[in-house]
Amino acid sequence: MTREEPDQHHPPPRSEGRGRFWTEERPQRGTSEDATREDAASRRPEPRERSERNQTRHALATIGRATFLAVVLGFFSLPLLWLASAPFDAHPSITTSVPEFTLANFRSLLDNPYALSSLGNSVIQAGGSAALVVVLAALAAYALSRVRVPGRDALLYLLLLLSSVVTGTAAMVPLFELATRLNLIDTHLGVVLTLSGGLLPAAIFILKDFMDGTPASYEESARVFGASPLQILRHIVIPLVRPGLATIAVWAVANVWGSFLQPFILLRDPGKSPGAVILYTLYTEGGAPRLDLISTFSLLYSLPVVVMYVFVSRRYGFRFHGGIKR
Amino acid sequence: MISLSGLTKEFPGGVRAIDSLDLEIADGEFFALLGPSGCGKTTLLRTIAGLEAPTSGNVSIGGVDVTGTPPGRRDVAMVFQDYALFPHMDVTANIAYPLRIKKVPRARREARAAETASRLSLSGLLARRPGQLSGGQQQRVALARAVASHPKVFLFDEPLSNLDARLRLEARTFLKRLQRELAVTTVFVTHDQGEALALADRIAVMDAGRIVQVGTPPEVFHRPAGTFVASFIGSTPMNLLPGAAQGGALHVAGVVLPLPPGVEDGPLVYGLRPEYADLSQSAPPERNASFAGKVAVVENLGTSYLVTLDTGDALVQVVVPEGPPGTGAPEPGAPAWAVPRPGRALLYRDDALLAHI
Repeated sequence: MTREEPDQHHPPPRSEGRGRFWTEERPQRGTSEDATREDAASRRPEPRERSERNQTRHALATIGRATFLAVVLGFFSLPLLWLASAPFDAHPSITTSVPEFTLANFRSLLDNPYALSSLGNSVIQAGGSAALVVVLAALAAYALSRVRVPGRDALLYLLLLLSSVVTGTAAMVPLFELATRLNLIDTHLGVVLTLSGGLLPAAIFILKDFMDGTPASYEESARVFGASPLQILRHIVIPLVRPGLATIAVWAVANVWGSFLQPFILLRDPGKSPGAVILYTLYTEGGAPRLDLISTFSLLYSLPVVVMYVFVSRRYGFRFHGGIKR
Repeated sequence: MISLSGLTKEFPGGVRAIDSLDLEIADGEFFALLGPSGCGKTTLLRTIAGLEAPTSGNVSIGGVDVTGTPPGRRDVAMVFQDYALFPHMDVTANIAYPLRIKKVPRARREARAAETASRLSLSGLLARRPGQLSGGQQQRVALARAVASHPKVFLFDEPLSNLDARLRLEARTFLKRLQRELAVTTVFVTHDQGEALALADRIAVMDAGRIVQVGTPPEVFHRPAGTFVASFIGSTPMNLLPGAAQGGALHVAGVVLPLPPGVEDGPLVYGLRPEYADLSQSAPPERNASFAGKVAVVENLGTSYLVTLDTGDALVQVVVPEGPPGTGAPEPGAPAWAVPRPGRALLYRDDALLAHI
């Protein structure tokens, strides 16, 4: 194979620029063709070696990955396994074992006067906060998304930054003080307001993104047909951001459900305390944890949240209504 | 009738999208606002709709001043460029939405929606969501929604620009027929001069927030009021060559042409549409009155070629119809002559139309 061959077929008209283009390109292609052919000839025995090496490496990688996954999986699944088995065990310990099956733990939990009602309190506080957060965040996010306010983004980021402070440990003393003056100590409303205040900035931030994603032309179109702002919100905006609202609601419920510090400080009456607080009271007089009650209560305490996740993802499914290309 | 007087819209930051504009649109007219992007045509349409409040000036629809009236009470229907169909409602609910706002009972409005849909051949699609429709179907649903609201005025913002090139032609014919049948005053915005010429009864050509010319499509095409309109209208840009009138003759790009009487000496712009010149491959008899040069570029337009002729002084474009079967395009580099057809060229002085020659 000679690299001159193409040139013989096409004698290069070197005088013109276009001709020079040809002469440069042709030999190049010639050399690359030659090179691949030579490669193929000289390397023929090699690929098998290479593939064996590759296989070994592949197998090792698979084993490594599986081991890693098994460790991670075990790390996360053992506590869950304990949660599933310990409540039905006559003598639960902190290790996971096959239970001696009994329902006695549930019976003794029912003897605790606050256990079941605390779950009701959790529902009231979580539901109240979620409703408040969704309504207020939707209105605020809609306004912030549609109306040009100077310094809007700075305001949002500042709120987001402060939100972790508002309900954080550092703010508990002033919050307690404030709640006392407002007569909100020992009320569900106090807990709901405090927790909602902490959740709102992030909720507004997330929802504003959803609102920004719906084109203004939808609303303008409705406006031209005579819809009022509230009608637009009800007919157009809310249905379009429903996945966002569902996300915020679930997130708010899960957050409040797991909150301990705020209700622990703001509520004195154990009859109003939510599950998270009651869980910490399940000790013997000597101060030893009553694992039978703790495991049983933990199971009951976590079930509503699991049910809610399943329900919401079935019902709302976080699906999209695609727009059209713009 | 829509009448705008002294309309000005200034955006924060000092951008004048509309600049003291006066316009009258007659009842039943199909009226086009044509201009390049950023000329203020969409802002003007939105101001008529009431979605933008003018900085000064008045808008009146049907003899009633609606400058301060919210969009919902102006009795107009607008079709947006992206159609703005509500993605969570099916076709029926979308079409019936204006009636839902007017509190028409559900059964009645669904019947009306079905009736309108069948008129726009959407009957089989009533239960679908907008996401399940093609671009052309979405456009028809948007039109149906506007039709169902029985407005006094239709406002269309680039109604065809989101469609494929082929579909656009079909939709154009459809749109024109629909407007004829309904005979509702219609204002539409477009940047496509072909669309404006094909659809409109009258066209307002806009540039930088002002109306440069208002006229019927033939008027705007044959007698563009200025060089901006001249270069903007037409599927191939008009040749605009600087020239001068001197001693009763026009000197342009090395050619001397006779001048009509009454043109004073001085600089001129000579405008010639590429369609209004013939290309001759051999020296034509009217040799002195034709642009001689070499073929520089040949662009295939299907049934014709756009030939760019380099005369040495200027580039002149000519549309050459294809010859009998078997003949090819003019060869680049070959000598050729562009012969203007009499009475088709335009003379501009100080950006105003002076005469035809």
